Amino acid sequence: MSDAVRRRSFLTMGLAAPALAGVSACSGGRGSSPGRRGSDGRTQVTFWSSLRGSHEVVQAFNESQDDIEVVFNQIPDGGSGGYANIRNAARAGNAPDVITLEYPQVPEFVVDGIARDLTDLMSDGLHSKILPEALARTTYEDRIYSVPNDLEPLVLHYRRDLFQERGYEVPTTWAEFAELGRRIRDESDTERIANFPTNGGTYFAGFVQQSGGQWFDTADDTWHVAMSDTGTQQVASLWQELIDDDVVTMMADGEEFDAMLSRDRILTRTSGAWDAGAQMSARPGQAGQWAIAPLPQWEAGDAQLGDHGGSTFTLTSDSREPEAAMEFIEWQVSHPDSMRARLSAGTSSMFPVVEDLVDVARETFDDEYYDGQDIYTLFSEEAPKVRDDWNWGPRMTATLQLMQDNFARVPATDDTLLDAVEASQAGTVPDLRALGLSVSESSA
Amino acid sequence: MTTEVTPRPTGRGSRGAKQSARPATVSSGRRQRNRASAVLMAPFFLLLAMVFVAPLLTALWMSFFAQDSSGLGFGPVEQSFVGLRSYTAVLGDPTFMGSLGLILIFCLVYIPIVTAGALSLALLMDSGLAKLRSVMQMGLFLPHAVPGIIAAIIWLYLYTPGISPITEALGSLNLEIDFLSVNLAVPAVVNIAVWTSLGYYSVIFFAALQAIPREVLEASRVDGADALRTAVMVKVPMIRSSVVMVLLFSTIWTLQLFTEPMLLSHATPAINSRFSPSMYIYDAAFTRNNYGIAAAASVVLLVASMLISYGLTRFSGRLQREEGR
Repeated sequence: MSDAVRRRSFLTMGLAAPALAGVSACSGGRGSSPGRRGSDGRTQVTFWSSLRGSHEVVQAFNESQDDIEVVFNQIPDGGSGGYANIRNAARAGNAPDVITLEYPQVPEFVVDGIARDLTDLMSDGLHSKILPEALARTTYEDRIYSVPNDLEPLVLHYRRDLFQERGYEVPTTWAEFAELGRRIRDESDTERIANFPTNGGTYFAGFVQQSGGQWFDTADDTWHVAMSDTGTQQVASLWQELIDDDVVTMMADGEEFDAMLSRDRILTRTSGAWDAGAQMSARPGQAGQWAIAPLPQWEAGDAQLGDHGGSTFTLTSDSREPEAAMEFIEWQVSHPDSMRARLSAGTSSMFPVVEDLVDVARETFDDEYYDGQDIYTLFSEEAPKVRDDWNWGPRMTATLQLMQDNFARVPATDDTLLDAVEASQAGTVPDLRALGLSVSESSA
Repeated sequence: MTTEVTPRPTGRGSRGAKQSARPATVSSGRRQRNRASAVLMAPFFLLLAMVFVAPLLTALWMSFFAQDSSGLGFGPVEQSFVGLRSYTAVLGDPTFMGSLGLILIFCLVYIPIVTAGALSLALLMDSGLAKLRSVMQMGLFLPHAVPGIIAAIIWLYLYTPGISPITEALGSLNLEIDFLSVNLAVPAVVNIAVWTSLGYYSVIFFAALQAIPREVLEASRVDGADALRTAVMVKVPMIRSSVVMVLLFSTIWTLQLFTEPMLLSHATPAINSRFSPSMYIYDAAFTRNNYGIAAAASVVLLVASMLISYGLTRFSGRLQREEGR
């Protein structure tokens, strides 16, 4: 019967597909071939980044140099395919010399052998210039795997105009924040104090840093995974209560949320220092309406913070010109011209990890949008409060993705924020074990 | 008599000649036939080796030889034999088990709907009750010709609040429905799947129904069965093997569910990155960069597909033998 024949060939095709899915390795990866010498004899260093203003920085570097020429390639940001580009290139053996990693992704690129140990390549001068809180985040077991570019303390962006008009005090503790939130909810049907972003795992992690949690402890050469520790529970229960009481909205940080901000429905945002610049380009119409304050603390007088955003530069294992590439990285994170070039695009308010650059940033940053508020002084007071003992895990992209997938369920189901964090841990640990890492797990 | 006698010797003679010639021609014919069948089968075996055997062996190899680190994993990366470690990890991963569980639910919803739907449409067409049969067949079959990714985009448009004419129409009736919300995500994917495959399966059923001998149907009419009774008591039992085949097709299709939820997952967090087993495998390989786990999950899915297919083919084989009796 022809049925049987068709069935058999269909089966063959059908069974092949799942096997294929696991196999098809990557191809592609353009850029750095081992050419290495520019037409004028300068050493070529390839650099891929998604950071805004990188083009200007590279241009400034190339103009300042006779020996090294940086070839820059703008890639999409990590989550939109930039990290996949780098991974594919690394698998093909032609990753660029220098790449940009955000702090959470540093360990996973080291575990996969893509990012290189920089300890012996870093000059003492550079080492001593960088804010220790920042350097601690790229250091594991006394080895440095990436050079921090900026450290972004969490701060409170708030609507100064509405706060003044209604006589709201800027909250300094989370209790005051919750109280103000209830007041705003009671006074208005449409306005809320803040949004809990369902796709904002890194914000949640920032809060956990502040409350003393430690998701991935690295004592004894082992990843101790404890994503629902006491610190995390404290953060989760605060926000869960605010969500349950309709004090904050809970939606993705996306178009709908943007629209609410533009329509004056959301009165504060907790975000990294970098977001001041992003705010300026996203909502130019609200110039003069926003101000920035320190993030609320758990107890009055506490001085502990987490960060959000922030990038680092590292060399790949494929790099054939590590010295020249390191020189470029050092210039990029510590030279005033680099800072000027980056801020010249007018949309960045990043907080540099090298102290000398803070003044350059303050001078270059156009403070008109913030009505003359000296935000860089605020940032430089906040940055040292950032935890210097926080570790990101070895598969953080997936861990955060899992957390966000489960955060998204919270508004529609009985799941809580803590359930989401626990689900994230449960989905992360098998991955780590499959890689052969030594793992110990504890749960709430 | 003479006519009977005379041909005999010649007949015998020629037969004798044939007999003596036979071994040579038969063996050369067989060789030719063998060569012809080898040439004709070669493309199949070549493809089988390239798209099935080679990937399968690679997946098996990758599931046993994976990236191996120790401690925090900051040392050099090695590719080494890891035994069953990837399999233990996959089977101990609640997200993989969750995706399997989801597929099970999907099967329980999708397969009965699509099989019963396609069967009733085919019976309607076959009964002659339906007018414009060829137009109807065409209309039903068209969605199957649309590539899955296009189908998903079309439905994404129809599902997305704010741009969808459907949600708008429902909204004007004071019905607020978000097809992309957590509770409607699975039905939304089932709907796309049914839309895509309903016509295809009903064509299969229709073809099988057309092959039923007319005298059997006449006999049932003579025995006084009405159209409905004929359909249920005569026609359906006679195309049992087609029903099993459709069950098999749709089960395998479901186990490989990928394109539709993958596209929808970009639009709604209700469909996550590890929604179906195939999506889990994709995520493991390309987001988590964990090829060992991806390969192990592929092998687990393969074995599950094989077991189910084997069970169903055995079942259908038994049905066919019963039909033949």
